[in-house]
Amino acid sequence: MARIEINGVRAAYDKADVLHDISLTVEPGRITCLLGSNGAGKSTLIRAILGLTPPHTGKILVDGEDVTGLPTHRIIARGIAAIPEGRKMFPKLTVTENLRLGAFQVKDERKIRDRMDHVFTTFPRLAERRDQLAGTMSGGEQAMVSIGRGLMGGPKILLIDEPSLGLSPLYVKENFKIIEAIREQGITVFLVEQNVRQTLAIADYGYVLSGGKLVAEGAADALAKDSAVHEAYFG
Amino acid sequence: MDLGLIAQFLANGIVLGTMYALVAVGFTLFFGVLDVIKFSHGDVLMLGTFAGFTVWLGLEAVGIINPWLQLVVVLIASMVVTAAVGAAIAKWLVLPLKKAPPLNTLLVTLMLGTAIREAVRLFYPDGSNPKAFPALLPDASIDLGGFALRADSVILVVAGLLLIAGLNMMLNRTRLGLAIRAVAQDEETAQIMGINYMLVVLATFAIGSGVAAFAGVMNGLYYNEINFGMGLLLGLIGFSAAIVGGLGNLYGAILGGFLFAGLQVVGSALLPFASAYKDVFAFAVVIAIMAWKPTGLIPERASERV
Repeated sequence: MARIEINGVRAAYDKADVLHDISLTVEPGRITCLLGSNGAGKSTLIRAILGLTPPHTGKILVDGEDVTGLPTHRIIARGIAAIPEGRKMFPKLTVTENLRLGAFQVKDERKIRDRMDHVFTTFPRLAERRDQLAGTMSGGEQAMVSIGRGLMGGPKILLIDEPSLGLSPLYVKENFKIIEAIREQGITVFLVEQNVRQTLAIADYGYVLSGGKLVAEGAADALAKDSAVHEAYFG
Repeated sequence: MDLGLIAQFLANGIVLGTMYALVAVGFTLFFGVLDVIKFSHGDVLMLGTFAGFTVWLGLEAVGIINPWLQLVVVLIASMVVTAAVGAAIAKWLVLPLKKAPPLNTLLVTLMLGTAIREAVRLFYPDGSNPKAFPALLPDASIDLGGFALRADSVILVVAGLLLIAGLNMMLNRTRLGLAIRAVAQDEETAQIMGINYMLVVLATFAIGSGVAAFAGVMNGLYYNEINFGMGLLLGLIGFSAAIVGGLGNLYGAILGGFLFAGLQVVGSALLPFASAYKDVFAFAVVIAIMAWKPTGLIPERASERV
């Protein structure tokens, strides 16, 4: 079980990014995506789930339990992790320290070491640079740290906010492959993206957000053909 | 000038430098995690020192007179009271003003400092007069040819430097230290990592304040006197030291503390006829340094924050 249900959420982060009465479900073991252009409210929804911008009204349930209004660290304790928009490195901490922070709530030192080894096996580049300050790395390398950090806590649910933003096409392709691999590990993924085609190619189910409202939803392959999706972007 | 006198000045400088560094690290920690100047820092440490002094009076009254035991109890009492007051100020005064301009925090804590100072003056028994602080350390000294190295100075400096080293190790080697550094760099992402933000902020304010209490007791032991105004100058010096060193940087705060003490000592050595002007001299040089290096000697950009 690793389900997020959002019921009638209204929230506002800044004036451009407002949510009106959003209800959606992120199903366990699947990749659910949320598509929409800039200012559609995507980041506000992620912030609401994480408790950074608590909703005015509505409820957010994780595995059926109400987490609305809880402080962020207690929501994380429910088995949620995030790969935030813009990767959000701690620039003056080393790669190892950044990864260590991803497992901040993990008490078992051996688990932390095993997961860190796993990240270093997945991204050999990070192993070479484990003592380098994260802020001095390239965008692609920072993306690796951010993904690795998101997995360090052993989450049940991973929220991924615009992973392809600012990356070269090669890294973008690599990123989507990694997200598919994360689902194969049984982790529930909520993927927020602007990149419609590549996102729908790996997602199971999708929602389309426009002007703070959901304008379409459906199975990913059906959504790929839906005109509402195109309207939300180009209409 | 003979060597003995120079050694005496040097020894004084090291004691004062340690004391100032202990105050300055608090300013730098607070600024590190919350980007605020907490101006009540000096008065809070004065309050803690008075708490320690009161506990000493109590120990005397009940007949516990072993000086080492007294010292340990006094230090613990001062540090605990100061840490608690520091954390309380963070929780009820600094955090609620988080969305306000930083100048508001500075002003509010400046006023709080004045209130604490005046409260001690008015409500502590005979609070407007200096209190004779007990000499809890051995008054032995070693004669090194025209220069007497005081045992209490050595103990104070060693203990103070150990405390700073411990603080540094806590920041760089422990889970709490990692959390403090993470919050200092990006509080929102730190929360996404599962860090309890409120707890880390309160712990930082408690630790920074507790360390300053050590400087307060040290001040009392070194001058054998405490008074309600002691926090004002110590706070101002600690603040200047933190700024000159580069606010937000631990090493900068230590460097700034020793630099300020060095300036005071040089001031009194150069102006033996008017050593009362040593602070004027030291602050004047600090102003000159700020004009030369506006972001401090170790600017934050080039160094690791906190």
